[in-house]
Amino acid sequence: MTNKVIIDPVTRVEGHGRVTVHLDDEGAVKDAFFHIVEFRGFERFIQGHPYWEAPMLVQRLCGICPVSHHLAAAKAMDQIVGVDPSDLSPTTDKLRRLLHYGQVFQSHALHFFYLASPDLLFGLEAAKEQRNIVAVAIENKELARKGILMRKFGQRIIKAITGKRIHGIAAIPGGVHKTFSPAERAFFLNDEEIPGVQTMIDWSLEMVQFIKDYHSKNQDWLDSFAHYPSGHLGLVTKDGGMELYDGFMRAIDSEGEKTLDDIPNDTYIDYFNEGVEKWSYMKFPYIKELGIKKGWNRVGPLARLNVSEYISTPLANKELQEFKSYTGGYPNNSTMHSHWARLIETLHCAELMQELLIDDTVLGDDLMRQGERRPEGIGIIEAPRGTLIHHYRVDDDGKIVKCNLIVSTTHNNEAMNRAVRWVAKKVLDKQQEITDGMLNQIEIAIRAYDPCLSCATHAVGSMPLKVELFDHADNLIDTRFKS
Amino acid sequence: MPTTSLTHDLNHNHTLLVGIGNNGRGDDGLGWSLIDKLEKSGLYRGDTIFRYQLQVEDAEVISHYKTVIFVDACRTLLEDGFDVQICKPALSFAFSTHEIPPESILHLCQDLYRKSPQALLLLIEGKDWSLNMGLSKEGSANFDKAWNYLNTEFL
Repeated sequence: MTNKVIIDPVTRVEGHGRVTVHLDDEGAVKDAFFHIVEFRGFERFIQGHPYWEAPMLVQRLCGICPVSHHLAAAKAMDQIVGVDPSDLSPTTDKLRRLLHYGQVFQSHALHFFYLASPDLLFGLEAAKEQRNIVAVAIENKELARKGILMRKFGQRIIKAITGKRIHGIAAIPGGVHKTFSPAERAFFLNDEEIPGVQTMIDWSLEMVQFIKDYHSKNQDWLDSFAHYPSGHLGLVTKDGGMELYDGFMRAIDSEGEKTLDDIPNDTYIDYFNEGVEKWSYMKFPYIKELGIKKGWNRVGPLARLNVSEYISTPLANKELQEFKSYTGGYPNNSTMHSHWARLIETLHCAELMQELLIDDTVLGDDLMRQGERRPEGIGIIEAPRGTLIHHYRVDDDGKIVKCNLIVSTTHNNEAMNRAVRWVAKKVLDKQQEITDGMLNQIEIAIRAYDPCLSCATHAVGSMPLKVELFDHADNLIDTRFKS
Repeated sequence: MPTTSLTHDLNHNHTLLVGIGNNGRGDDGLGWSLIDKLEKSGLYRGDTIFRYQLQVEDAEVISHYKTVIFVDACRTLLEDGFDVQICKPALSFAFSTHEIPPESILHLCQDLYRKSPQALLLLIEGKDWSLNMGLSKEGSANFDKAWNYLNTEFL
């Protein structure tokens, strides 16, 4: 007899996922899987469209990180029109970066305040009605007020540059279509209509302190929960600094040895493969040389901090060094430290936005560059959830003939499955009854990765969560639904 | 007659109209359509926003206004095809916060920002909620009744 537990849907994540846990006769956990069960086929239906439409079309992959898809596609299309990143005008480069940092800032704020904070504030066994942002707002007003305004700041940056909070347009092949006005800039520098960028830095720093204090009080849990070795992947600058917009791909193993040595974007195809499993629509990317079992990597805030030697902004860099010293300079493999890492990145983005807002280059009017048409373009960016790859081929008529997207959450597919297995074995093993708190722990592990399952599978539909429990003969013995 | 009244004195620049719905879902677009028409009339003096669903951050948005009018389609049978109701702060906890009711947004506004805007619900009865643009025959008829009322009493 095999028992199977199913969690469907996984909650407080973007998209639709399902967890199944398989038990043996004794009730011991044999295996556990995180399934992505919907399919959209975005890579296929974008074919045939003219290349210049790609930065607009791909935004519809997601309502949370459309800017990341917009910019990754635009970077690829820059190459289609013969423009490399170093050839873009300084104003274009800085406006795109400002847009990107605003996006990462608001997305990280959304995740920490709206999605993750209920787990931290109310604990593993909290009633499900309490595990949401409304309860957080009632319980911790100051945190809620700041969270709301931090997210709003990032969204206003996006709106100022693209015209809309969601699904606006800024980047076009070879440039951007509008510049920033002095009035738009003043809006973010003054503490008048909304709290200004200096306030965002101050509040971000407070949030880093919040998570450090929380860590000091909950050290055992945060350090050990879903702790397992893995590779880590992210973009870095030429000299190994954190780079969110345009850099070189670096991967390290769980001991810190480089497994991908700062390769340029256009060679990614030589180094990566994508595996498939019959039980999920999400692929499993891995480094070819290491194979599918050893070549998988985590991406996102934890991975980025692990692969980066320094951060260019002073406050975030100080926090990075403290973060690294906690594990003695070795890669940090504690899943729950992703929250700590995410808040350091939030601080970094606030500092970067301030640097750009006081730089007059963002007010320039030199916006476009042109070059010789090319048949292929690759855009790689560090989206809030990790390394995002857009790869296109275009025919002589300008129509897209091939599109390959390796989305951040896809890189984390194996990592999330490992996390689910870790929690299942620790929490569900030989239990007579499955409680809500036990199931929530599985979700907490997944949620730490801030997965965007809609992006990763390009799925359509709602986002319910189901946990199923099967016996050793694959008979379903228990199911829990949330919808 | 509606349960309560929307009067001329509420048509001022401290009023926010919040259209809730989705115009790609048939009559779910009733709220948005009404706000579109109000804006085009040039007679409305306040601000407008459009929402698929209300979210926690809307508590901060409404805290800047004296009067908030939530305009939404509804499935319930309404005697006149539409109704205006007083909306009072009330907190409700649900498993999902993808959809937060206006009463909870008012409660959060009071709790987080110590502001209590006067709030009303303008509900318009719909019939068809399928995936398509445009209102049903019944929805359009109710829309016209709501519009005539607003044109006479509010604008």
